[in-house]
Amino acid sequence: MTSLYRKSLWVFHLNTGSCNGCDIEVLNAFTPAQDAERFGVKLVGSPRHADAIALTGPITREALPRVIRALQAVPEPKIVVAIGSCACGGGIWHDSYSVLGGVEKLYKILKKKGIKKPITVFVPGCPPKPEAILYGILLARGMVKQKQKSRIYIESESTELMISKDLIETVKEQVMSSKISRKQVEQIASIVR
Amino acid sequence: MNRLRILLQNIKRGVVTEKYPLEPIRVPESFRGKPVIDVDKCVGCGACVNACPPNALTLEEDLKEGIRYIKLFVGRCIYCGRCEEVCPFDAIHLTKEFELATTSKDDLYQIVGLRMYKCPICGKPYTTIRLVKRVIDKLPPEERSLVLICPDCREKITAANRSFARR
Ligand code: SF4
Ligand code: SF4
Ligand code: SF4
Repeated sequence: MTSLYRKSLWVFHLNTGSCNGCDIEVLNAFTPAQDAERFGVKLVGSPRHADAIALTGPITREALPRVIRALQAVPEPKIVVAIGSCACGGGIWHDSYSVLGGVEKLYKILKKKGIKKPITVFVPGCPPKPEAILYGILLARGMVKQKQKSRIYIESESTELMISKDLIETVKEQVMSSKISRKQVEQIASIVR
Repeated sequence: MNRLRILLQNIKRGVVTEKYPLEPIRVPESFRGKPVIDVDKCVGCGACVNACPPNALTLEEDLKEGIRYIKLFVGRCIYCGRCEEVCPFDAIHLTKEFELATTSKDDLYQIVGLRMYKCPICGKPYTTIRLVKRVIDKLPPEERSLVLICPDCREKITAANRSFARR
């Protein structure tokens, strides 16, 4: 991936039904303050001229046919930069009836149509800072290292509840004094001990 | 004349472009970035899951293994900060982290798996061990035993006691 995009990356900005929060931030990334063009990143007017698509929004049903057409028009190899939580995972609209909810769902439809899944860079944020978008685009070009990693923590199997003896006695008493079956009482006696 | 003034102004102001990827950038004091769950403090109560508007936080239970998972999918988070607001144990915080871009969706997950406490009567896991510990510490001694039996069994016991008392 990194070797493919050492040179300038031309981007086509595709709004698929976003609230315009992300679109404003994409434009911000090209203002003098952030100035994405100093890295050779340029907004172009047609997907046919683009190497990458900056995709914002959760992909509404209305936009879907146009999104597919725009994606098909980008020459291979192509990158999709999914900008904003909407494009990454559906965001606040993820369970709405009128949207697909993120690029992953779009790729499923593309697969059915026999179109290859493009390389994707996810840029979460609602909306992401212009610097975050810049970071995402530079990540696609291999100029910065990925910082975000998944974190999985599972408590050790030996975790046990330490309770006092009195408390166990109370529980036992409560259970014994009630009219539940003999077998269940034995069960509790064996476990609570 | 006017143009000359603008030119002078701009020369005085100097370069406005940030050096961002080459130099780190300062974010505002109140900036809300990536939420992070403190695995030592989280008890798996699920208050944040209820509050999260886009369901970026979800609660899943593996009853066979007896583990409750609190899953945070950062890719869907809208950085509203409600989870931080509602967490009763101060376990989830919004950091100032904004460089979250990844090339794979799997990197956007944070998962906390907590062992569950099994009901001594029916053997069904119904809440996490950490939560039981916390609740026991907060309750008055005479009510503590109530926590150690799952709600279904407690219901049965109460019903049995009632009918016994009536007889
Ligand atoms: S991620 Fe947030 S700002 Fe961007 S389009 Fe969706 S709702 Fe709007
Ligand atoms: S509200 Fe706090 S303690 Fe409860 S599950 Fe969420 S992070 Fe953990
Ligand atoms: S900041 Fe808001 S959207 Fe993000 S995890 Fe917390 S409650 Fe959910």
